[in-house]
Amino acid sequence: MDTPWDDAFDNVVTESFARDVEWTKMSSEFTDVGYREGITAGKEAAVQEGFDAGFADVGAPLGRDLGIVRGRSSAILGFLISAPSTMLGVSEEEKDALIAEAREIAAQLGNIRYSDIEPRDLEAEQHAREHLEMDNEEMEVSEEIEERKKMEGVEDMLVRMSAGENVNAPTRPTAEDVLKLKARLGTLCARLGLSIGY
Amino acid sequence: MVEYFNLESLVHLEQTFYETGYEGGFAHGRIHGLIEGRALGRAKGFEMWEELGFYEGFALMWQSIYEKQARNDDRATNHTRRLLELISQFPRINPSTSDAAAEVDIPKLFRQIRSRYKILCSTLGVRPSLRYSDRSQDRDEVADTGVAESDDRPKNTGVWRVESTAPKPVNGQSFDF
Repeated sequence: MDTPWDDAFDNVVTESFARDVEWTKMSSEFTDVGYREGITAGKEAAVQEGFDAGFADVGAPLGRDLGIVRGRSSAILGFLISAPSTMLGVSEEEKDALIAEAREIAAQLGNIRYSDIEPRDLEAEQHAREHLEMDNEEMEVSEEIEERKKMEGVEDMLVRMSAGENVNAPTRPTAEDVLKLKARLGTLCARLGLSIGY
Repeated sequence: MVEYFNLESLVHLEQTFYETGYEGGFAHGRIHGLIEGRALGRAKGFEMWEELGFYEGFALMWQSIYEKQARNDDRATNHTRRLLELISQFPRINPSTSDAAAEVDIPKLFRQIRSRYKILCSTLGVRPSLRYSDRSQDRDEVADTGVAESDDRPKNTGVWRVESTAPKPVNGQSFDF
C-alpha cells in the first residue's frame, strides 16, 4: 500500500493544512491586535460625547427638577417656622400641623437619591445583554459608578442595622414618590395661598 | 524575485487584517465609550443641577411668599432676584471646549451662587440648609472676595472633561512593522 504516490499525496495535504493553520493564526492574531486597539480608541473618542449627552439630556434636567422642589420645601418650612400664626391667618394647632407636613415633605425629599429616580439607559442594558449572550461575561462598569453603588449599599446596610433585624428595610423611593411629594407640596402651598403650579 | 513579492503581499495582508479588526473594535469601543460617558455625565449633571435647583426653588418660593405679602422693595427681594439671575447664567449643557459658552467661569459662578444663597438666608433669618452649606463650606470662604480674586487659574476650568477612563491595552502590544 505504501506507494510513493500516496506519500506524495499525504505530503501535499499536510502542507496545505499547515498553511491553513498558519494563515488562520496570522489573520486572527492581527485582527485581534487591531480589535483591541480599536476598542480603546473608539471608547476614548466617544466618552466625552456620551458625557455631554448624559449631562444635558438626563442629569441636569432631572437634578434641577428635584432640586427645585427640595428648595421650595425648604423655603416653605423656613417661612412657616419664622412666621407668626396671625400672619398666616391660622390657629397655633393648624400652624403646627403645617410645619409637621412641610418637615415631612422636606425629609422625604432629602432621602431621595439619584439612583432611585435615574431613568433606565436602554441602550446600555441592551448592550450588557449582548455581552452576556456572546461571552457570558458581565459588562464592565465605570469605577466611579461602581464606587457610588458600593457606598449606597453600605448606607442601606447601616439603615437596616439601626432599624433592627426584625424590621423590614424601608423600600427605596421612586420617581412616582417624587410626584406625590410634589403634589403634597402643592397642596401645602395652596393652603397658604401660594401658587407653584404643581 | 518571487520571495520578495510574497513578503510584500504578506505585509499588506497583515495591515488589512489589523485594519479589519481595528474597525470592528472601534465601533464596539464607541458603544462602550458612549455608555460609560453617559453614566458619568448623568451623575455629574444631576449632582450640580440638584444643588443649583435647590437654590432656584428656594429663591422662587420666597419670591412668591414676598409677592403674596406685597413686599417688593425689600432687601431679601433684591437678593432673591440676584440669585435667580446668577442661576440663569449657569449652563445646562456641558459647554464643549470649542464653544464660546465655555468662557463662563463655572467655579466662580458656583461660588457666587452659594454665597448669594447664604446671604439671602441670613437676610430672611432662616438657617441655610446643612446639606449644601456643609458641602460648600471650604469654597465659600473665598466666595465673598471672589470678584477680586487673582485670576491666575487656568481658563476654561469650568468645562467638565472626562478623564480618560479607557484602560490601556493589556499587554501594551503595538503593531510595528
